[in-house]
Amino acid sequence: MQQAHEWMVNYTRQTEWIDRRGIFLWIAFYAGGLGGGLYLVSLLFNSLWGMFVSWLIIAVVKGGTHLMYLGKPWRAWRIITRPQTSWLARGFLFVMAFVFLGAIQMMLTHWLPGSAAEWVFKVLAGLTAFGVATYTGIILKNVKGVPFWNSLLLPVLFVICGILGGFGLAVVIALNGGGINLAAAETGSRWLLIANALLIVIYLWRASRREAVGKQSVLQQISGESAPVFWIGVVLLGIVIPLAIAASGLITHVPSSLLLTAVTCEIAGGLALRYCVLKAGAYNPLVARSC
Amino acid sequence: MRWGMVIDLTKCVRCYACVAACRVEHFLPMGVTWPRLVALETDHGSPEVSTYSVRCNQCQDAPCVEACPTGATRQREDGIIVVDQDKCVGCRYCVIACPYQNRTFLSKDKDKGFFPGRIQTDFEKAGKELYKHQLGTTEKCNFCAERIDAGMAKGLKPGVDREATPACVNTCPARALNFGDLDDPESEVSKLIKTRKGFQLHPEYSTDPSVFFIDGRIGQIDETAATEESRREAVPAGTES
Repeated sequence: MQQAHEWMVNYTRQTEWIDRRGIFLWIAFYAGGLGGGLYLVSLLFNSLWGMFVSWLIIAVVKGGTHLMYLGKPWRAWRIITRPQTSWLARGFLFVMAFVFLGAIQMMLTHWLPGSAAEWVFKVLAGLTAFGVATYTGIILKNVKGVPFWNSLLLPVLFVICGILGGFGLAVVIALNGGGINLAAAETGSRWLLIANALLIVIYLWRASRREAVGKQSVLQQISGESAPVFWIGVVLLGIVIPLAIAASGLITHVPSSLLLTAVTCEIAGGLALRYCVLKAGAYNPLVARSC
Repeated sequence: MRWGMVIDLTKCVRCYACVAACRVEHFLPMGVTWPRLVALETDHGSPEVSTYSVRCNQCQDAPCVEACPTGATRQREDGIIVVDQDKCVGCRYCVIACPYQNRTFLSKDKDKGFFPGRIQTDFEKAGKELYKHQLGTTEKCNFCAERIDAGMAKGLKPGVDREATPACVNTCPARALNFGDLDDPESEVSKLIKTRKGFQLHPEYSTDPSVFFIDGRIGQIDETAATEESRREAVPAGTES
């Protein structure tokens, strides 16, 4: 337990965005990535079911948990007033624009498929979905005092992780006859699983070289308080099990139950990754220790 | 005009008077402390403990102002960063964005009362009327902007006249805290920064804090070394090397 007079002199991790009610923000951040990723994947497969599920994830889960996190949720409308400087305001605008544009696009896809208007709204909703999936990573990347987050790789990692989850949910939709090619969804999942695993390794390696606090954040993940979540959640559930199931799919038929297990593990892994990144974010000390 | 503070650590006697004065001035709940006193071990030849009196740096390029999605946090013309708690939505982005961690989110656990479950003191009752702290919003040191405004309205000069000067500066028994206009080269704070080589915390963040420190060492050595010293890589005591 850090004493009051040791505040910000030792390794001090951020708590507001993960501890206590911060749990809501953690879920909101992941839901944004997952919903945005699924929408982009659904566009690829032109799956109305996928689009609808992604819309629900962003509008209900992401929007709802983010509102629950706020200290004064009934003032949430004020968040959109400063997009010129604040990425949080831009993110809220992305979410609201996606909810609006996505709803219109789905109606057009249902009633006027192939029309020019449908394509226009697909492009617009796709751009806003990409914004929803990206902005949380940019918010963290821009925090000057936390070396662990100061990397362009972070938004990339979050987007890849979101699209990976999107491909996972696409597999579930395909299994339920939602107009998605199962083999193509599985192939996408495989490649993204590999890309995601590589990005995590590169990200941690680079973070460990960003100042002493960056290294401490990485140590916190791999051998500290967050280690069980990292090794079981991120590595085992998020990478090893889905990769093993995906690899087995190359040589033999994989039953639906195993595919569903892989998807569940992927999503648990994505949640664990966001948790670890938020949990390990620590500030540079206020005053440098004399060397 | 840009209000700023110079903290002479060689004079600080670590009495916590600045912390107490701020609590009294702003009726701060027990879980909230705007200025803080932090201690760290230094090793200039022989090990010793040094303390820093820290508070919101009122940065000129403030990350909190940039981060705030509602405009609740804004910079006044005199450089002071203020929070309009009626506009704050409680997203805590500013708390996260501040590299100096000088902002506090006021949650229920930080406002349990001075004697939780027992009584509400007269001081607390007065505070509820005079200086409302809204649960679910963010707050921080504002250089006693209300004192500055009221004092200046009477023609007083902040940093010179007590009635227009921040409470922590007034109360410091060792005169370690100095307040004044950083844009005025003739002000006491500008002279102190110039003559005793006042330095800012983490200049590498390019936030241009309005709080400067004189520590009797960094400010006393030659300029090249001072720059190197102030920009050296931070090695926090709690990290593993």
